[in-house]
Amino acid sequence: MDNTHIIKTEGLCYHYSKNAQTLFDVGVQVERGAIYGFLGPNGSGKTTTLSLLLGLLNNQQGSIEIFGQQLQTNRIGILKKIGSLVESPSLYGHLTARENLEIYRAVYGASKERIAEVLDIVKLDDTGKKTVKRFSLGMKQRLAIALALLPSPELLVLDEPSNGLDPSGIIELRQLIKKLNKAYGMTIIISSHLLSEVEKMVSHVGIIYKGKMLFQGSLAELHLFQRKGSKVFIDTSDNEAAFKLLHSHNVERVGNTVSVPFQNLEQVATINRTLTENKLDVYLLHPKQNDLEQLFIDLTTAHP
Amino acid sequence: MNLLISLRSEILKTKRTASLYLTIIAAAFGPLMSMLDLILDGVETKERNMILESMFTSKFQMTAVALFPFFLMLICTLLPQIEYKNNAWKQVLASPQTKGQVFLAKFINIQLLVVVFLVANQLLMFVDAVILHFMEPSLHVLSQSVNVLNVLNMLASTYVTLLALCAIQFWLGLRFNNFIAPVAIGFACWFGGTLLAMQLKSDIALYFPYSFHVYTSFPQFKSQLPTVMWQSLAYAALFLVLGFLDFRRRRMVS
Repeated sequence: MDNTHIIKTEGLCYHYSKNAQTLFDVGVQVERGAIYGFLGPNGSGKTTTLSLLLGLLNNQQGSIEIFGQQLQTNRIGILKKIGSLVESPSLYGHLTARENLEIYRAVYGASKERIAEVLDIVKLDDTGKKTVKRFSLGMKQRLAIALALLPSPELLVLDEPSNGLDPSGIIELRQLIKKLNKAYGMTIIISSHLLSEVEKMVSHVGIIYKGKMLFQGSLAELHLFQRKGSKVFIDTSDNEAAFKLLHSHNVERVGNTVSVPFQNLEQVATINRTLTENKLDVYLLHPKQNDLEQLFIDLTTAHP
Repeated sequence: MNLLISLRSEILKTKRTASLYLTIIAAAFGPLMSMLDLILDGVETKERNMILESMFTSKFQMTAVALFPFFLMLICTLLPQIEYKNNAWKQVLASPQTKGQVFLAKFINIQLLVVVFLVANQLLMFVDAVILHFMEPSLHVLSQSVNVLNVLNMLASTYVTLLALCAIQFWLGLRFNNFIAPVAIGFACWFGGTLLAMQLKSDIALYFPYSFHVYTSFPQFKSQLPTVMWQSLAYAALFLVLGFLDFRRRRMVS
């Protein structure tokens, strides 16, 4: 048994119809204690992958191992330790927050006190007899998270939990996710197409596009990858001469400027010195780092 | 134990839904009509000495022919629609319950409401009897005897006879993501089944689950009731298995 990975999938393939393959050989590896950001544009296969992890879709090809056990043979035992929120909240509008949780309390084997605890965690302990259909979207989303927390899960699966939330709701959600990870040691997998949103809370990232995993690793690895893609854009009094001077730096022509890859700001200073020492006037020296957004676009557009 | 937990969960979901109101209103309709009939037309001379027995048996005919099948069609559609309406299937199926438990718990929940329907119907009919007793003291309604075993036998045979229709409608209710289609199919089949047995007097009615209600309601068909009851049980088992296989196979989430 692999103790470091709480989720390990290999060769996941899925198709909704014969002519439309949705997933291609997807391998997701989530380390215990991680907050794993599962990124991809709409329709890239995030929800399909998460639905397979929760057994909502029948696995067609590949293997899914969660908590070191095969999902196909231990589905119920595994699901007892997973809290989930898949896309929009699944709540009964005619019932109160407490009644919604009571429906699943015995199913997860949770205590009555746990209902008050989770309502307190998501700050919905004062909704009383108000039925869920009268809740705001943010309140519904928080109640759905309370439902996911009901079994005191080891693994929390959140599919686009910030959908429809206002900026303050998104900030609250981010803080809650960090708290759950830190205070309760929960492993969290959170999918999103909002890169700026997950970048601030995740420790690991998986990027999926058109059903294929493009990148998977820690945030530090992603930043390394990001630095490798950083470039400085230069405009001088003689760009042709500059191009020749910087030839050994893998220089490229970009419109009227030239670009040179760099890994740290000292390299930028060295490039500037080289140009000025060769009597070239430097009009523009623009180091452009690849942020996650840019990296995401680069990664996805490089795989048409 | 797990099935009981799933059943508890299903019962909790029906709180504040129309299902319980529908059950009580549908159960009250027959006794209400009987009461109106007794108030407007009075009690026939030949029935004066056995009006209490008649209220619990022959006046149940209207309920068995139409109200009970309609109630089954509505309730079998209404309960599964709770999940569709609230977009809740994915949460149900991502919880640690087998699909078999979820399927059976939903069906048992319907059967519990069916029992509530039958019990409420009989209790309200008893209320009718009490009202009639005070309206027409000369009838001595509450002093008359009732063959309780006969009443229970009639209720049980009505329930078993309509179990096939219940299983089919339950499957339809799970299958369709809307309220209209299962009810429309059920009503059309009920109408066709009634015509088949009553008007066309076709033997096919004996094998058509939507005709079975006539065998428990009208004396001319009573001789075939035991056969129909066995067939209803067999159909119910068959459609429950087919319904479950379909439920297990289908993607309940988009």
